[in-house]
Amino acid sequence: MTGPIIKVRGLHKYFGPLHVIQGVDLDVAPTEVVVIIGPSGGGKSTFLRCLNFLEEPSAGTIEIDNVMIKAREPAGQQRRHIREIRQKAGMVFQQFNLFPHMTALGNVIEAPLIVKSMSKSEATAKGEELLDWVGLSDKRDEFPSRLSGGQQQRVAIARALAMEPQIMLFDEPTSALDPELIGEVVEVMERLAREGMTMIVVTHEIHFAQDVADRVILMADGGWVEMAPPEELFTKPKEERTRQFLSHIL
Amino acid sequence: MTDLDGTQNQSWPKMVRLLLILVAITSVLSLLYAIQYFAGGPIRLPVVSELYDLAFESGQSLLAAGAQDGEVLLWEVPGRISTRAMTEEDVAAQEPWMMYTLPGHDAPVIEVVFTPDGANLVSVSRDGVVKRWDLSAGANVGIENGQGQTVFAIQGEPLNDASFSGDGSRLATIADDAIVRVWDLSTGQALQTIGSSKESKTIVALNADGTLVAAGDGSSIQIWDVTTGAGVQRLEGYWEDEEVQDDWLGHDEEVTALAFGPDGQSLASGSSDTTIVFWDLDTGEVTSMSEGHWATITTLLYDQNGAFVLSGARDNKIRNIRTKGGKSTASYIGHLNAVNRADYGPVRDTVMSVSDDGTLRVWESATQRVVHMEWPKYGFQPTWGKVLSVWMLVSGILGLVCLWGLWKRQIWSHLLALAMYLLGPIVVLGLPLFEVFSYPLPTEIQVQIAWPLVVLAAWYILLLVVLTREPVAMRYEAPREAPLSEQLVIGQRTVKTRFGIYSLAVWVALLVILFSILRRFDLDIAFMEHFLPFIMAGAGLTVVISAASIVLAIILALLGALGRLSENPIANGVSSFYISLIRGTPLLVQIFIWYLGLPRLGIILQPLAAGILALGVNYGAYMTEIFRAGIQAIGKGQYEAAHALGMSRAQTFRRIVLPQAFRIVIPPIGNEFIAMMKDSSLVYVMGVWELTFRAQKIGRQNFRNMETFLIAAAFYWVLTVMFQFLQGKLEDYMARGERR
Repeated sequence: MTGPIIKVRGLHKYFGPLHVIQGVDLDVAPTEVVVIIGPSGGGKSTFLRCLNFLEEPSAGTIEIDNVMIKAREPAGQQRRHIREIRQKAGMVFQQFNLFPHMTALGNVIEAPLIVKSMSKSEATAKGEELLDWVGLSDKRDEFPSRLSGGQQQRVAIARALAMEPQIMLFDEPTSALDPELIGEVVEVMERLAREGMTMIVVTHEIHFAQDVADRVILMADGGWVEMAPPEELFTKPKEERTRQFLSHIL
Repeated sequence: MTDLDGTQNQSWPKMVRLLLILVAITSVLSLLYAIQYFAGGPIRLPVVSELYDLAFESGQSLLAAGAQDGEVLLWEVPGRISTRAMTEEDVAAQEPWMMYTLPGHDAPVIEVVFTPDGANLVSVSRDGVVKRWDLSAGANVGIENGQGQTVFAIQGEPLNDASFSGDGSRLATIADDAIVRVWDLSTGQALQTIGSSKESKTIVALNADGTLVAAGDGSSIQIWDVTTGAGVQRLEGYWEDEEVQDDWLGHDEEVTALAFGPDGQSLASGSSDTTIVFWDLDTGEVTSMSEGHWATITTLLYDQNGAFVLSGARDNKIRNIRTKGGKSTASYIGHLNAVNRADYGPVRDTVMSVSDDGTLRVWESATQRVVHMEWPKYGFQPTWGKVLSVWMLVSGILGLVCLWGLWKRQIWSHLLALAMYLLGPIVVLGLPLFEVFSYPLPTEIQVQIAWPLVVLAAWYILLLVVLTREPVAMRYEAPREAPLSEQLVIGQRTVKTRFGIYSLAVWVALLVILFSILRRFDLDIAFMEHFLPFIMAGAGLTVVISAASIVLAIILALLGALGRLSENPIANGVSSFYISLIRGTPLLVQIFIWYLGLPRLGIILQPLAAGILALGVNYGAYMTEIFRAGIQAIGKGQYEAAHALGMSRAQTFRRIVLPQAFRIVIPPIGNEFIAMMKDSSLVYVMGVWELTFRAQKIGRQNFRNMETFLIAAAFYWVLTVMFQFLQGKLEDYMARGERR
């Protein structure tokens, strides 16, 4: 495959009268890691959630791995496409959102069992492999309430990966974590990037952006301010707005 | 602390050593008491001696009774008995009659009779000894004769019952081997021996002139001719209408009481099926039947002209029954235990009776109240003697086990000690003590009876206090050798368990108090026992109705909640209309509409189905709101996470939202279920024979609403407790993800 795996064209999102995303375009190539940074309220999370239709875009088209959805398509057709897209795009949330009534392993195998109708033994084998991959094979039978934040987030990553997505969307995955727990999650994300996963990451972890990202986007006021490889964006930003933002966080 | 070194052989401090010695002494003494009690030793709780038979001699105005402890008791009855002393206190305060004790029998005295000339008293004891007491020179001379004169002794198996002929010349006996014998009292010769291989061996009766002898034979009665020994008649129950098998006339359980009528033509029989049957000996047919006792009939006695029968039963009651028609004209209630014999007399318009409660009572016929009472021997009811000795045996063994555990410093021994000295006294000592203080006796006599148990209870409480004192408890709650962390864990666990045991003890104590208060409601316990099976037969239905209704209610509530949360206006409208309508109208009205309204549309429901529908639909409406709240309590993040994984809305609801919502709604639903179990009684209006309906029916029929409703209440309570236990388990299971 040569073309971009994610293609976003003219994406707009209104919350009532509030114009949160003001027509953005984005192409992401396979295995590329794109990090979106920017001030709060700039529309980063909304953009990410629009990609798998947790928020319904007000206008524009989204194409992921050759499945294209136009905003305000007829509902029946759209719903089928949305489920296809959601299976191609795994998502990790700021608040982890693990299912509290299931064990770590139960969380990981739930979607393969229910959505993909995978056999229990197959799902379990795969789930255990994934838990092992995120370093939590000893926690397979623990309920989320017995896990630390970092461990919960790693289970959440394993849960998303269990659906074998083409791309992974990270919505501020480390923002709810205690500082000393951030490292373990970032480490897993770095490993995932190295293994060639296409990723869009909304984060405040500048180090992650610097070390792992292929491209960094600064988003503010509902649009791209600047888009560049990290070494460029962090060292010689072109825009005044970028400089201003970086001066606050660096 | 001198023993911080924590060696195995550290010495016990004085306090603990003293405690161990106290526990040891208590346990050993308890065991010794139990052993000597069961071996027939002399030391026992003061219990009354059951009185088995009574006889009255009008010439000298002497009243005789046979007692369980082998004594024959003789009272001089004053010529006038005051009937003005009516309250229990007045009766208790009366001067006792002059009483003589005639010792001599080595076994319970089961039958006493005066010879017609009044000169002799004849007594029969269970071991077959027949004694004659010469009273021709007055009662006190009879005593001076010492042991009385043994007329003869019947060899063989112990006697179960004996009966004198009207003239006192003949005696019929029935022994444990079921053999009926008739004796000539003057010679001591057996006139007839009727071998019987039948099972029944409880009751025997002679007719007035001693020519016929009757004995129970299962639910039938066999009558023999004494002279020939041949069977002359067999009285058996039969259907009034053979074809439809309707109205059984006769007994359907063992015959336990018999009496020949004075005319020689009639016989009355009582049974453990609680009925009394009057037979015509000419035709062998039943002339009438009487129901009204709630337990096994123990004694029957005709009046002089055969118009009435006096009956006594294990329900502690005496009834005066008209032989024609079997209607009861009076009932005498007050004995604390089974009535063993009742007779007319000793003066006009009075009735006298003896009972297992160890009392002789004289009742005024007109008011049916006690006018005189004799307690030949003060004490607890006989059962308590046995209960206490069993407890002593158990607590003796437990005490030694506990001691061994304390020595080994096992925590369980502490808990065992707590349980033993906390629960034991409450139940085993508390109940009889409560009872003693409700006996119709002056307070000083109540105290005189109760003091051994009071002392014992006080001693147990002392032990308990010492056992639970902190410095003592610390010694054995955690092994000193264990590391500190382990000691702390053990300490925590012990505190928790101790809390549990104490609160259990509080429960038990409150139950005992509740039980004792209820006893004072003057409840007819025998009545409750009699109708318990009938009322409880409705319990299954109550459970079925409640369970089926709650299932229906949960389904409706789930649908209702989905409707309420739905963005579909039809679903939303239907759901909110349902909730509004059902919650806005009374349940009873709804039940009527289901049962009486629907048939007008041609839909005829079984009462049970209508009841389940009415309850399910009603509770479904209330529970809809509970489910709605439960579903809404699930955060948006859960939906998003599930959707992001590609799960459909239905899958998300079923797999993610519902299980979490269920956990939230279980406590309120459990609450609703408990309420429903009790509301299920409302279906009685449709004639569903569930628990409350049966309780009400029986209660109204017999003017005993309190008794029957208490049974129903107790059952609902038990059911609720069981359900709460299950609910707790379910909650624990559902909350396993939440545990920290």
